[in-house]
Amino acid sequence: MKPSTHLAPEFRSGSEILLEALERNGVKQIFGYPGGTIMPVYDALVRTGLKHYLCRHEQGAALAADAYGRVTRRAGVCMATSGPGATNLVTGIANAFMDSVPMVVITGQVPSALQGTDAFQEVDIFGITLPIVKHSYIVRDVADIPRVVNEAFQLAEGGRPGPVLIDLPKDISAGMGEVIYTPPVKQPEVPAPDSRAMQMAAEMLSKARRPLVIAGGGIAISDSVEVFREFIARTGIPVTATLKGLGVIPSDSPGFVGMLGMHGNGAANHAVQNCDLLMVVGARFDDRATGHLAQFAKSARVIHLDIDAAEISKLRKADVAIVGELAPALEGIRPDGKANTGWCAQCVGWTKEFAWRYDAPVKGIYAPKLLRDLSRAKPEDMIITCDVGQHQMWVAQHCKFDNPLQHLTSGGLGTMGYGLPAAIGAKVARPEATVVCVSGDGSIMMNVQELATLNRYGIDVKILLLDNSALGLVRQWQEIFFDGNYSEVHLADNPDFAGVARAFGIQARSIQKPEEVSEALEWLLNIQGAAMLHVSIDSMENVWPLVPPGKPNHKMMQSMPENGR
Amino acid sequence: MEHSLNIQLSASEGAVLRALGLIERRGFSLGKCAISEAGEGGRSMEVTVSSSRPGDLLKRQLERLHDVKSVELKPAATMNKKNPGIRPINRRI
Repeated sequence: MKPSTHLAPEFRSGSEILLEALERNGVKQIFGYPGGTIMPVYDALVRTGLKHYLCRHEQGAALAADAYGRVTRRAGVCMATSGPGATNLVTGIANAFMDSVPMVVITGQVPSALQGTDAFQEVDIFGITLPIVKHSYIVRDVADIPRVVNEAFQLAEGGRPGPVLIDLPKDISAGMGEVIYTPPVKQPEVPAPDSRAMQMAAEMLSKARRPLVIAGGGIAISDSVEVFREFIARTGIPVTATLKGLGVIPSDSPGFVGMLGMHGNGAANHAVQNCDLLMVVGARFDDRATGHLAQFAKSARVIHLDIDAAEISKLRKADVAIVGELAPALEGIRPDGKANTGWCAQCVGWTKEFAWRYDAPVKGIYAPKLLRDLSRAKPEDMIITCDVGQHQMWVAQHCKFDNPLQHLTSGGLGTMGYGLPAAIGAKVARPEATVVCVSGDGSIMMNVQELATLNRYGIDVKILLLDNSALGLVRQWQEIFFDGNYSEVHLADNPDFAGVARAFGIQARSIQKPEEVSEALEWLLNIQGAAMLHVSIDSMENVWPLVPPGKPNHKMMQSMPENGR
Repeated sequence: MEHSLNIQLSASEGAVLRALGLIERRGFSLGKCAISEAGEGGRSMEVTVSSSRPGDLLKRQLERLHDVKSVELKPAATMNKKNPGIRPINRRI
């Protein structure tokens, strides 16, 4: 990109060098929050072409940068001051780490001479974040800044993406230095996938009677969606998806048996438990997907494709592993013929048997049906961001996705409070998209302050707030697994959410009755500007099916046991 | 089961802490640890760890770190010979 021309050519402050290095790496937007030790950077920021979004809590900034990174597949950038500013970023950094999201995090730090003296707003953010970053730096010399920034972007975006932290002491950001810019670092060539392993995989697939593919989040991350779809079309192998793999093939594709796992579809869980060969593409055998690991796909051999060698045989032994970029591996695996038609028919049979039903006798508005209607209303250009809880699982089950980037969800970390800042990051990244944040009454309060960010910048995000006056998923577990001993889950004293939204300058309305749903959804999706639709639902509604913890995936509960409630 | 590893680290700040932290977090108990200088500011670490988890998995997890230049797992083979599809990993991601 064309660098800024407004800065003096040679002798500059560390802050100016940092910001120009960001621009040279293609950064246009930053999410952040100013404070003491990062002030030199904010001072220089106003003289750049960078657009800064002031979030109202650093966690909001980090989660917005996360979503920006997911949607663009370029590192989202967030920035905060030292001490509490930096620690408030931690959840967002961990979220990006767990879901392999490219992110560059810039934190202010107390001056070098004060580090290690318990100075005001000093924390060792480098040490605190060691387990949740792909890499991190403390900048010790102004002249190092261009190299550090270039490396940070290369590391964040290359291979298996992840967050990279740059901790910037105030004497470095305020100090002056002569600088030589080097061009952004190109990603190293990834070795071609092993041809012998690909041949073995093809032979195993040719011989398999009951093959199944698990599509994971790595397919979208590596931009391999089209190649994956070609592979499936060519081989006819039935497909299930992890939470992050949803949309890798369209939800209504023939041969797609749905999401597997704890709240997965019965068809997917039966297929996975009955297959004799499992080809896992860009997924990592997460416990929420596998259920009881030793009983997961017990009679299956495993082909594992992943860019990260450390995922191979971490939890489930791979009979064949193909490490590297997914696209050339998928192109290179050429089994004979198509998958066994009897097995494919069996999978279709399960899909019909376990098709979602929307005629459940519920009191009031039925959230699954509402979500299905939402995704039917605007399937083409809609991005749905979620929080965490029952509504997140209902979105995964009942919304239809034609592309994995339509579904932004906190998969690994399970961060309540992700949805609203993620919607901000997604809308900033893709202004032309309709961005809907589906949230719950528990989750929305985790980052409710970001309503102010929507209002401040006029960011057109639609919020669908499913309010069951409870921490629903915890309440469900207490109902089922803790003998109905409800502990700290009832939220009958929730605020008037529509009133809260209006106080922030966001249009809002509330509905309680099923007959109001259709018109209200139309209102939400068509009104100009940010808006909230607050939907009251039954507080005792549960997410089904449910694989109880420690059970294999085919032991799904479809409803409350007889002696329940 | 006990595993011995030689880990070559680059000169970057926090490299030792990052590698040792990973070892413990990934379920390996640190026994012996000897750190020596290895030229150009780098470090060489000889560690002995114990765990029910396989040593070659720890090797691959260490190799992911940008600070880690190389890892040698001794004396056990780093590859599962029954599993020829897994090829040696010599690059980090």
